[in-house]
Amino acid sequence: MTRNATLASILAGTTALVIGLAIQEYIIPAIGTGALGLVWVTAYNCKIFRAAAPAFALFVFISAAGIWGSVSAWLALACVIFSLIAWDLTVFIQQLQLTNEISDRKKLERTHFIQLALVIGISLLGVFSGTLIRLNLTFGGAALLAMLGIWGISALVYRLRRHEDEVDS
Amino acid sequence: MSRIALLAALIYVIILAGIGSLNGSVLTLALPLAVYLLAGLWRGPESLNLSAERTISSERVTPGEVITVSVKVANHGSSLAQVSLYDPLPDFLEVVEGSNARLVKLPANESLSWSYTLRGRRGHHKFNGLNILADDGFGLVLKRKFLPTSGQLLVLPSVARVRRIAIQPRQTRVYSGVIPAHQGGAGIEFFGLRAYQPGDSPHRINWRASARQDGALYTNEYEQERVADVGIVLDGRSRINNFSDKSSIFDDSVLAAVAVSSALLAEGNRVGLLVYGDRARWTSPGYGKRQRERIMHNLAIARTGESQNFKSLFIPRRMFPTNSQIILISPLHADDLPILTQLRMSGYPLMVISPDPVSFEARKLGERAAVRLAARIARLEREIVLRRLRGFGIQVINWDTSMPFEQVARASLSRPASFLRATRSESGVHA
Repeated sequence: MTRNATLASILAGTTALVIGLAIQEYIIPAIGTGALGLVWVTAYNCKIFRAAAPAFALFVFISAAGIWGSVSAWLALACVIFSLIAWDLTVFIQQLQLTNEISDRKKLERTHFIQLALVIGISLLGVFSGTLIRLNLTFGGAALLAMLGIWGISALVYRLRRHEDEVDS
Repeated sequence: MSRIALLAALIYVIILAGIGSLNGSVLTLALPLAVYLLAGLWRGPESLNLSAERTISSERVTPGEVITVSVKVANHGSSLAQVSLYDPLPDFLEVVEGSNARLVKLPANESLSWSYTLRGRRGHHKFNGLNILADDGFGLVLKRKFLPTSGQLLVLPSVARVRRIAIQPRQTRVYSGVIPAHQGGAGIEFFGLRAYQPGDSPHRINWRASARQDGALYTNEYEQERVADVGIVLDGRSRINNFSDKSSIFDDSVLAAVAVSSALLAEGNRVGLLVYGDRARWTSPGYGKRQRERIMHNLAIARTGESQNFKSLFIPRRMFPTNSQIILISPLHADDLPILTQLRMSGYPLMVISPDPVSFEARKLGERAAVRLAARIARLEREIVLRRLRGFGIQVINWDTSMPFEQVARASLSRPASFLRATRSESGVHA
């Protein structure tokens, strides 16, 4: 189930971005993105799980660049979300390989999919709210908000990394 | 690069790109990534307050016997979204049913029990504990812990039943046993005649010899049978026991050591063991069942080591006085000749039981002309070494490990070497 969901996410993310680029007549970038998606699928089938992180990062970069080049923001967002799901499930499937117990596997898969759906749901809710609220900011105001955002993310990362890979004795 | 670092870097880039391009749509791309990070923080394990217990169905087993290991892990702290529990096992044990690893959700104040079955080859394993890896469910925040548990497992070596090992050391101990002591007295085998002494049983008077002498009576003397000191040296040097395809003849040597020590202890002898692997490891000499258990335990944990030659082989005289029997179990190497002859010359009767490494390796390499030729050359070289050892008065048993050790022991070890030589020469068979 996880394997199929991962493959479906990679293909969905790739398709969304390829369509967005093709609509704007960025043919060569669209072909490149399609090829990147195929490479990711192949690497996944060959169990080269390390390829997931760079592929995910590349899809996010191409999506951000695409929006700048007038690609539909919804298609770019779909690509980022599906890439995030594929990257997450790739790590999850590696963890599942640690156990042979089917009962554990099914329970964990169900819990994980629910958590992931919640994360995606909250993100989409945020994005929809963003489309309803319109703020006119000066460049200074926007820069201040960006700085606040960066500070917030940095604080979050600091907090997460403090606990990351900590060994309890 | 950790997953958190990658996500953070992507979020920074998106925010900066959004501000730089003054495009709010770019900023929305950062939202799923930021929510994903926040979820990691929310679900991440704070601290691990776990305990573990283990029960093992049997702590001493024979090779191939199935053992059930039950593990119970209790969570005394907060709920854990995803915990990986891993019970590390050594190479010589294999899981038959179930799994030694679990990936589970462990709610607060709940426990998890599971069992799996094992079987293994010879060896000893101490179950020190479980490796725990807890995370937030997304693999962003990881927390490791080692949970100590008790329990150990001893897989004893395979046993070959050998009834008798005929040895004839020059020196025996004072207790009666089955080893001929080269002294007249009470026994079974005829030893000689002596003049009758008052108190001798009339049944022991040799009337035929007495009739030939005028007025003198002669009494039969029998050879005393006593117990002896026996030192078994097990050669565990990697370079001659292990082969390039990772196979090893060492287990055959261990099997021979078990059979020889058990047979000698059953006859009442005082037996000690030296395993010569990475360093010399002695089991001091002793008698009886308890000594057999000690030797079995040490053979169960015996491993090959990196010692290159027998240079540091030293037989302590306080354990084994000169003239005690030494039995070396070794595939042998030409370099070993000097130290073995030196040992023989220092007064120890030496018996070498040598599992044949040439046949062993040739069988693994298959039936090819090149292999046959190489095996023939190696066999000739080995035969030269064995002959030279025999020339020094060392009893050598060349054991092709495709044959059961019991069969080899019956043919070559059940009678004294001199008796076997005599019967073979009578029947025209050459050793």
